[in-house]
Amino acid sequence: MKLPQNSSEFNEYSYFVTPSDMIEFTYCRRYTYFMKVLNILQHEEKRYNVRKGREIHKIRESQNIQYIRKKIPMVSKEINVNLISEKYKIRGIIDEILTMNDNTLSPLDYKFTNYNSKTYKTHKIQSTMYSLMIEDLYNKPVNYGYIIYCKDKNVLKEIKISEKLRTETLESINSYMEVLKGKYPEATKYERRCLDCCYKNICPR
Amino acid sequence: MLLWVIYDIQENKVRTKISKSCLNFGLYRVQKSVFLGEVAKNRFEELKLITKDVINPETDSVYFLPTSKEFIDKSYLIGQSFDEELVLDEITSKFFRI
Repeated sequence: MKLPQNSSEFNEYSYFVTPSDMIEFTYCRRYTYFMKVLNILQHEEKRYNVRKGREIHKIRESQNIQYIRKKIPMVSKEINVNLISEKYKIRGIIDEILTMNDNTLSPLDYKFTNYNSKTYKTHKIQSTMYSLMIEDLYNKPVNYGYIIYCKDKNVLKEIKISEKLRTETLESINSYMEVLKGKYPEATKYERRCLDCCYKNICPR
Repeated sequence: MLLWVIYDIQENKVRTKISKSCLNFGLYRVQKSVFLGEVAKNRFEELKLITKDVINPETDSVYFLPTSKEFIDKSYLIGQSFDEELVLDEITSKFFRI
């Protein structure tokens, strides 16, 4: 496990955001309120999709570790890297950190889902969070993030980590912290997201 | 979405697993190996995954046929039919007088 650079200032009581938390927060802010503030669990591990995704992640850790992807201009990679960024208050485990040809780094994430015509904002924000962490702890620039959608077939997608994405992500982290302090957030404006939400019975939309 | 699930599975254990999964996802048993009901898109994906992992593709077959209320209304049934209101989720709750 990689500790923050100035570990003497490490405070175990301060809260760190994980990219998974942020995915839920971006999907609907009420998710975070019910789960983190009111402590109502969503029991995602009971869902077959989630269990299967976790199994696939486990297999990836052990199988074909030396594999260098031809579609990405990379030199080497680190698998399952646990990072904590004091600066941005982010922590998380990155599936793979790739060292590129031009001496920059890139995060790579596996998603157990199918790619359908566009990369969702939740995935973009997750990749940006990984990038911010890497830049903070490795002191090397990150230009691109990669996502592999590995449900039926492996689809590789590249995300440009732009300035706009970075500022958007940092703003999201700030609003996340506000909700954690007890602010009751607005529900998502897309009502279709409520159809399969586990909190739909208690959420007063 | 409204979904028909029709299966032909040899092994008892596998058949029970699939039928229980269908019932757990809120489908109604229309015939012994035919289910119909309203499922969310994510649940449909989950049901497909479970089926894929459990059945023997050499001997078994499972049909997932999405349909709509319009088609159900047009369908013609002879003999023992299912409770259409119940299957289409038009009855949300039942009240009992004591």
